[in-house]
Amino acid sequence: MIGKLVAQDVLKIKRKGIWFLTFLGPFGVVALQMVNYGVRKAYLLQQSDDDWAYYISNVSAFSPFALILGIAILTSFMASIENETNGWKQLTALPVSKMAIYLSKFTVLVMLLFLSSILLALFSLSYGVFLNLGDEIPYLELLKYSIYPFLASLPVLALQLWVATVSKNQGIPITVGVFGVILSYSAYVLPDWMIWKWPSLLNQWNEPMINVLFGLTFGAILYVIGMVDFMRRDVK
Amino acid sequence: MEYIVETNQLTKRFGKEIAVDRVDMRIPKGEIYGFLGPNGAGKTTTIRMLLGLMKPSFGSVQVFQKFLNEDRLNILKKVGSLVENPSYYPHLTAYENLEALRKVYGIPKSSITEVLELVRLSDVGNKKVKGFSLGMKQRLGIASALLHNPELLILDEPTNGLDPSGIIEIRNLIKRLPAERGITILISSHLLSEIDQIATTVGVLNKGHLIFQDTIERMREYSKQKVLLSVSDREHAWQSLVAAGIKAELHNGMISLKEKSDEKVAQAVRSLVHNDFSIYRVEEEKGSLEGIFLEMTTEEKSL
Amino acid sequence: MIGILGSEWYKLQKSKAIFLLFAGPIAGLLIGLVVDINLLPGEAINKWHLALLSMNLNYALLFLPLITGVFASMICRYEHQAGGWKQLLAMPVTRGKVFIAKYLLLVTVILGMQILYLGSVFVVGIVHGITDPFPMVIVWKSILGGWIATFPLVALQLGISIMWKSFAAPFAVNVCFTLPAILAINSDRFGPYYPWAQPFSMMYIGGNTEDVFFIPWDQLLTVVGGSFLIFFICGYLYFQRKAV
Repeated sequence: MIGKLVAQDVLKIKRKGIWFLTFLGPFGVVALQMVNYGVRKAYLLQQSDDDWAYYISNVSAFSPFALILGIAILTSFMASIENETNGWKQLTALPVSKMAIYLSKFTVLVMLLFLSSILLALFSLSYGVFLNLGDEIPYLELLKYSIYPFLASLPVLALQLWVATVSKNQGIPITVGVFGVILSYSAYVLPDWMIWKWPSLLNQWNEPMINVLFGLTFGAILYVIGMVDFMRRDVK
Repeated sequence: MEYIVETNQLTKRFGKEIAVDRVDMRIPKGEIYGFLGPNGAGKTTTIRMLLGLMKPSFGSVQVFQKFLNEDRLNILKKVGSLVENPSYYPHLTAYENLEALRKVYGIPKSSITEVLELVRLSDVGNKKVKGFSLGMKQRLGIASALLHNPELLILDEPTNGLDPSGIIEIRNLIKRLPAERGITILISSHLLSEIDQIATTVGVLNKGHLIFQDTIERMREYSKQKVLLSVSDREHAWQSLVAAGIKAELHNGMISLKEKSDEKVAQAVRSLVHNDFSIYRVEEEKGSLEGIFLEMTTEEKSL
Repeated sequence: MIGILGSEWYKLQKSKAIFLLFAGPIAGLLIGLVVDINLLPGEAINKWHLALLSMNLNYALLFLPLITGVFASMICRYEHQAGGWKQLLAMPVTRGKVFIAKYLLLVTVILGMQILYLGSVFVVGIVHGITDPFPMVIVWKSILGGWIATFPLVALQLGISIMWKSFAAPFAVNVCFTLPAILAINSDRFGPYYPWAQPFSMMYIGGNTEDVFFIPWDQLLTVVGGSFLIFFICGYLYFQRKAV
């Protein structure tokens, strides 16, 4: 059943620019580095002995809040597809549980963001190779800095999906998103417990894996809270 | 005759599709013009062009004898409209909705309470419109259209989605307006019975063509299909009529006359009386307007 | 024109969107209170500048450009919701005037937000016990300059919000343009020419005397003025042709 709902949701996001955004996000992050390195490559290469590591750190300076923004935009898009067409009414009248409806939306979003993360790794790799940063390509690091932030951002995704599905006015989730971005931009001053800090992979123990584990755990918790609230509410 | 609305060869094309095709609409002053046509005939597109919400691909619109593309603002000051679904701001109350409009028109605040009274929404004036039923939204839409005391009122499907009592209420309201306020009204509908009860002039649009435009009486003419006679000894009576050269038929125990002009009917009656048949009843069988409407629109013959 | 403006203000004031006005200044206030300005590096001629500096990075660089877009979507939302455009344009108003009224409403709201932000800066200064004289340049350059720098952004966002019903789409466009500003402000070559970096460069007040009183008029006129004209005219013309 959930498979069918996911297939339906994938169908619904056609021609809404959602696939384009999924591609644009990682491309934009790497494109910023293209500009960065294009303008001052010599200077940037001087900054570190390990050009690949320095390059990856530059890319991942932007990826956390590109991710946070992407989450805010995609969740709001998903919700407004239903809001604009009175789709919630139709959807909940189908012989499926509200739990499945919510899970399906979440699944599609996770798929899109995961795709974005993989694309980010691919784009970073391609441009890194193009820059000729060295023969020892750190595949593992590239993958790690693309996938970890995504896993660490799951609580933000769960929160945004919750807010977006229960708000009739999509200005609310977008505003929450704006604050999320500002918070993630100041990640280095935020306390460790703030979920918007996690995608930056920073913490006082200097162990990115902790953020990933936090992300998975609290992502699940927030997801359940959001889903329960969604199920509890009347359909407008 | 003084026409309030006059279009010339009005045409709207969407890509290859022609939604409105060379329409010459004429709405005389003080009339209730029923704009009739099935769904998708191009009624709303025509109305949008009358209001300048859409630009015609070809042809012109004159309202109050002024060209719309030249004098749009002056024209719209005297036009009230309700196009398709009622327009409203969900976050405002009924009163506030009208207040937002009033500020644009720059008219006194008293007109708000006046129109709310007119459409019987005074009690719920302070409730948010998002909680309104469709009928209440529809009435608010009419109130918005009447707010600035327009001389021309354009109502697109105003009874859509209303319950019978709501339909009657709106119908009575609309009927009152020309007499009380001297308003000319254009009202569109896909229901002939609706137009039949309200309009004084009718225009029928089908597939973008205006296939009929005349008074409601002329339209009803087409519906007078036959005159029926109930007589004694009908077999012989019928034979005597045919013998006298009058075209008649016998069925269902009644004689029906094919020619229904007054003289022909009088001639038939005289002939029967002369031959000592008793005439119990002379009646006119009204063909349903629906029948004619369907005939017009399906065969698309020009009348 | 007064009528349309009054009506636009009325509709906005009755919606909850107006509370968004306080979001930025409050966020700025919190950041300003949390950061201990006495620990910030660098010698400054006036501690007020430090207070502003600590608050500006988030506010001017990200919040201000992003929130203009949210406001633009908000004032178009209730027109998109239930046939508002149709009703509005069937009234005796020109589309041009409607566009201008919406635009003026937006910049007025942004000005209101800037003034509240000034209040936040002031409170932060008082709480931190700054005794230096309050530099009026903050008012002129940061508050008003930053405000003017949002003019082109507001014009673009208004156009896009009229075009699209959804909130997410105009926001996505806004984000795509705002993020590169983070890089642009670090570049002497591109920074001055990137419209989305202008609110930050206008609101920024450097540490030394030369910087403080320096208002880059050329830049203001060409970049802000130029991009304003392009975005405003495009939005204006688009609205003229839009079918409702």
